[in-house]
Amino acid sequence: MGAYILRRLFMVLFVGVGITFITFLIAQVIPIDPAAAALGENAREEQIQEFRQRYGLDKPILVQYALYLQRLLQLDLGRSLRTGRPVAEDLKEFFPATLELALAAFAVAVLLGLPAGVWAALRHNRLPDLLVRLMALLLGSTPVFFLAILLLDLLHRRLGLLPGPGRLDPFLIPPPPVTGLTTLDALLARDWGAFQDALAHLLLPAFVLGSASAALLARMTRAAMLEVLSQDYVRTAWAKGLSERQVVLRHALKNAALPVLTLLGSLMGGLLSGAVLTETIFSWPGLGRYVTQSATSLDFPAVMGVTLLVGLVYSLLNLLVDLLYALLDPRIRYA
Amino acid sequence: MRRGLLALAMLLGLAWAQDRTQVLVYGGDWTDLITLDPQVVYEFTGVMIADNLYETLVRFEGNDLSTLRPGLAESWKVERGTTDWILTFKLRKGSRFSTGREVTAKDVVFSFERALALKGPGSFLFTEIAQLRPGATKALDPYTVEVRIPKTASPQSFLSILTFTLGGVVDSEEVQKNAKGGDFGKDFLTNNSAGSGPYRLVRWDRGNQVILEANPYARVKPKVPRVVLRYIQEPAVLRTALESGEIDIAEGLTPEGLRAIAANPRFKVVRAETLRLQYLGMNMKPGSPFSNPKVREAVRFAVNQDELIQGLLQGNAAKIQTFIPKGLLGYNPATPYKYDPARAKKLLAEAGYPQGLEFELLTSTGICGGGVPCPDVAAKLQADMARAGLKAKIRAIANAEVLATYRAQNHQMVLAGWSPDFPDPDGNATPWADYAARSLAWRNSYNDEVAAKLARQAALEADPEKRKALYKVLTEKVLREGPYVVLYQPAQPIGLSAKVEGFLKNPMMSVPLWQVSKQP
Repeated sequence: MGAYILRRLFMVLFVGVGITFITFLIAQVIPIDPAAAALGENAREEQIQEFRQRYGLDKPILVQYALYLQRLLQLDLGRSLRTGRPVAEDLKEFFPATLELALAAFAVAVLLGLPAGVWAALRHNRLPDLLVRLMALLLGSTPVFFLAILLLDLLHRRLGLLPGPGRLDPFLIPPPPVTGLTTLDALLARDWGAFQDALAHLLLPAFVLGSASAALLARMTRAAMLEVLSQDYVRTAWAKGLSERQVVLRHALKNAALPVLTLLGSLMGGLLSGAVLTETIFSWPGLGRYVTQSATSLDFPAVMGVTLLVGLVYSLLNLLVDLLYALLDPRIRYA
Repeated sequence: MRRGLLALAMLLGLAWAQDRTQVLVYGGDWTDLITLDPQVVYEFTGVMIADNLYETLVRFEGNDLSTLRPGLAESWKVERGTTDWILTFKLRKGSRFSTGREVTAKDVVFSFERALALKGPGSFLFTEIAQLRPGATKALDPYTVEVRIPKTASPQSFLSILTFTLGGVVDSEEVQKNAKGGDFGKDFLTNNSAGSGPYRLVRWDRGNQVILEANPYARVKPKVPRVVLRYIQEPAVLRTALESGEIDIAEGLTPEGLRAIAANPRFKVVRAETLRLQYLGMNMKPGSPFSNPKVREAVRFAVNQDELIQGLLQGNAAKIQTFIPKGLLGYNPATPYKYDPARAKKLLAEAGYPQGLEFELLTSTGICGGGVPCPDVAAKLQADMARAGLKAKIRAIANAEVLATYRAQNHQMVLAGWSPDFPDPDGNATPWADYAARSLAWRNSYNDEVAAKLARQAALEADPEKRKALYKVLTEKVLREGPYVVLYQPAQPIGLSAKVEGFLKNPMMSVPLWQVSKQP
């Protein structure tokens, strides 16, 4: 097991280097000058030359790549061409917002998707099952931006039930930033008003971002449960006269959990990287918005930094899922 | 238990909520904000905010960019020395920084030297336009500052440049205390303020919000003590936020959004004037069809400016054909070119293109002045010109690539925009008329010694009336002979709550937030 973890960690490192190489290649294929993008209309020739020199854009591509890797070894992600700040610092500032949103969306997906899937499987081909399947189809196929604007218009603008975009009511004094997660920071500051407001601001974007995952999870759970429920040991459990609760929780769910677990890992990764549209619509200051702005201004160090971060988190989540697999299912052995 | 907690939380929440008339919330796309250091900042949003944090020696008021007013200096004079212009500023007593320290001549000297040392993107205004050198700024006594610039520079331009944040005065002691490794406090001032302006910076959460609060020591007391700038990029969301009262001012609404807002008595629309010009640039390099003056004249008659402004831009622009925008000294209202495709066709035939002329029109895929997509403007021009036999093939690419192509003189015709770097006609005249400045005239291969000489002469002229006369001759010459077709000067519409009074955005994009008030 120890050797397995080591080998997998090495793979994560390998994936990281792969990511840098591919993004670097893509950056070279795009025939646009980042200096022109960063300096704008009125920039003079000397300014452009100076900029290219400062960021090493005048060096051959392989040299640029080698320098990048060398700095990466010292955990230096380079400087953003747009903000002029170390990319690592930008990431530190933008990542918590995305993490908060992704965690909340994950909670939405799990709290809605899992019970709905189990419920549908238990009421197979009856009304609840049909309802869950219909909802899953609807939520799973509605484009995120459409759902976001629809819900914003209905729940915020027309009914006034939920707050609008942003993380906090601008008329409130925000809690001092400690973790960067507004809800947590409000709790740490014991500012209940801000906590409640931050939570309310989180609901809508988290639902929008998490709904598609919830739909997927519901379908997956339903399928896994149906399969398990038809197994002999479940039939035996029923025959023993156990209650539905006991059968579902003790026998069925545990065995249906494996495929669902795999999905959960990639869902969380997907939520982290897939927040671009949601963040834009809800004015959520996270990585998604940061990376779109960086991409439109050809800020390659920033784009590479985000890609690398998301890629690593994704790989680590996969690793975590695989390890949990081994813990849950003793049949799985790693050589 | 849980319900009890929630009720308590709601109660406390109410207790914590602020009086909404004491907070002004301004929503818009502030993503270009990268620093608030007055000597480094050069982006629209940064300049707009820094303008409220720092004071300058002299300033402009409202939309008037031709009359200088006292700022930190209560008076100033310009003298002609033997080799230099000598500018002497008398500081008023009792101006205080947000730290409580009094503003003295020492701080002015420090700030100007700081601008020269940091070499920020706007520093060329000091070093090249004003030719200011290190050591040329002196404190004669705690309330008198003397600045010397060479005779070859324009003192008028320098005074205009001084209204810009580059000349913002920082608290030298506070900044030096926070400097590290010879950075002149650049890191510190990126996220903190140390000025004497009406506001001080409380917090900047990147991508989320900027919070300003009244500077307790400021001479000018703001009407609203707290200002929050909220980042909202998506126009539909911006409109929702304005309508639900989450923001008071919305910048970046779509034409439909603006129309809806204007029709609702709870809101109003303010049109901010800009100094931006949208224009066509024609490359005159040898061998290019546009090196022929008749072809250029044909293009001038082949553009339907009125339809472009009234139709596509829905009136959000002023009609202008000369290159000094309305609002600056030297603005020339002449509009001699009317849409006349028959005449354009005739000119084209005389130039040797009886069958018409095919060429490439380069444009950005982004947004042009007035909030309209550039490809739409290009398509309208293409249709107008086609009736005159000018067959434009549109090539729409990323703006950065347009600029790279334009700078390399690799275009035939380009749709581009220009904003002067400082509020003085020379901010347009030199780049547009002087080939040696390696700016627009150079990019379009417009090498005219007479035009260049006129631009230089006008820049150095101290008498405003004589200056105006020189600019009239120059603008008319470039209008008839130059490589440009000026299309329009856009206005920027901004939607706001009817409760907001005193909001103004001047043509240099500065917004005096301290003058804004909010009715309950």
